[in-house]
Amino acid sequence: MAYKPSREKRNVSSRQEQPPVAPKAKGASSGAVRKMKPAVILVGADKGGVGKTTVARALLDYLAANNVLTRAFDTETPRGTLHRFQPEQTSVVDMTSPSDQMKIIDTLNTAEVKVSVIDVRAGGLGPALDALRDTGFLEAVKEGEVNFILFHVLGSSIASLDEIGEIASHVQDAYYFMVKNHVNDTTFFEWDPLTHRKYFEKVRTAGEITIPKLNEMSYEQVEIAGTPFSAFVANKGMNGEPANHSFVLRGYVRTWQNKIADEFDRVELLDLIAGRGGKDR
Amino acid sequence: MRRRTIVFIVCSPHARTGVSTTARLLTDFYLARNQPVEGFDTDPHEPTYGPLFGDVVRVIDATDIRGQIALFDRLLVHDEIPKVVDVWHRSYERFFATVKDIGFIEEARRSGVEPVVLFHADATETALAGALALAAAWRDQTMIVVNNEGAAPLGAKAHEILARYPARRKFVIAALNGPIAKALEVPGFSLSRFLLAAPSDMSIVVRAGLKAWLTPIFTQFQNFEMRLELEGAEFLR
Repeated sequence: MAYKPSREKRNVSSRQEQPPVAPKAKGASSGAVRKMKPAVILVGADKGGVGKTTVARALLDYLAANNVLTRAFDTETPRGTLHRFQPEQTSVVDMTSPSDQMKIIDTLNTAEVKVSVIDVRAGGLGPALDALRDTGFLEAVKEGEVNFILFHVLGSSIASLDEIGEIASHVQDAYYFMVKNHVNDTTFFEWDPLTHRKYFEKVRTAGEITIPKLNEMSYEQVEIAGTPFSAFVANKGMNGEPANHSFVLRGYVRTWQNKIADEFDRVELLDLIAGRGGKDR
Repeated sequence: MRRRTIVFIVCSPHARTGVSTTARLLTDFYLARNQPVEGFDTDPHEPTYGPLFGDVVRVIDATDIRGQIALFDRLLVHDEIPKVVDVWHRSYERFFATVKDIGFIEEARRSGVEPVVLFHADATETALAGALALAAAWRDQTMIVVNNEGAAPLGAKAHEILARYPARRKFVIAALNGPIAKALEVPGFSLSRFLLAAPSDMSIVVRAGLKAWLTPIFTQFQNFEMRLELEGAEFLR
């Protein structure tokens, strides 16, 4: 049988099989890995229900499948949704609390894991960016000490565009991606090109990422399973035990993950994380 | 040695090419030998294959996710029971899109299940294009082209047309003449029961005609089954 799924080379559910490692720096050979700059990926939106945590979960699966060691922070205190699905790598933090800010920022250079994903709670994107500015994090980004990537998950209404203007001043030195998340809606508001341009003049973006729709039943079953998407696809439970998920649903989730991985590949996310991006700062 | 579980995917992108007849014949082929078999009729609106076999064949809607779970999750069970799927022409596109989306063929191979596509030829270019597309998507997939001479006669150019199909094997289902074909349509008539014990009130001509029609068809099925077993035999490797 020679049919090759589009993502045959990368097994998105391989995280249990291969130990994750940090991504190699540009030009590094297998024997000489350059010390990598820390990278922070912030996933946020200014309102709830747009699927931030789903995007964060898909992102963590993608990084794990590519052998990138990642730690995650969930700012939905006291009990985070991301923490529920990925408890081992996720800490629940309050971005406005200095002790938690220290936990994230002060450890960027010292932690073995150089890639941090922060899932910002609903309505918390502005305050989170303010906190990052106030703590000097954005300054460090400007100095090129840290790679900063922002995934701004947009809702399907025009209100989302107002958020862009509000955060524009914070993201001048970041790789700023607008993420259109179709995962839990059937129709997405298509912005009028003129309106689109008007808002986008305010901010320089690194591009747009589209998260495709996953059928309701598959999504619901992963929710019930309470596992990462990759564990569901691998037919495993929360603790790695064999599960009995439908093959059809696992197949749909795998295809959906592959499409997301194609999107992340398209924007060369791994290169950006490893500091190999071509963007001028 | 454990035998592989065969899943026959009986299909055509067009109506009236003899798909349900082939599904019926395959099911009766196994039942006549007292072998268990399971069938799936993917026409939820006017199923013709399903009602012929009662509990042996389930009618499912392959365009609905619940139906897909009932179908594909069952097809992937390696239990050596042959499965027959009658792919309704209206769900043909969606069926193969799902097969691709969920990675069914690859998973089947891993699970010891052998999918076999029985593609029904007709004289149109779109049918040929459909077969070529399937062969391109799954290059090593076993495909058999079925020529039902009664439902989709190919005429004088039959050899030329069939030669263009991307299949190394073919099944030929001969045309049945009127009175004998009518016997197949009698409600409750079962080919497997007929083979085990022909009804005493059936015309001798019809009996002889049906047997003459069935014998070469079942011989082709048997040959295929034996060839598949030989190909999978470890002692020949």
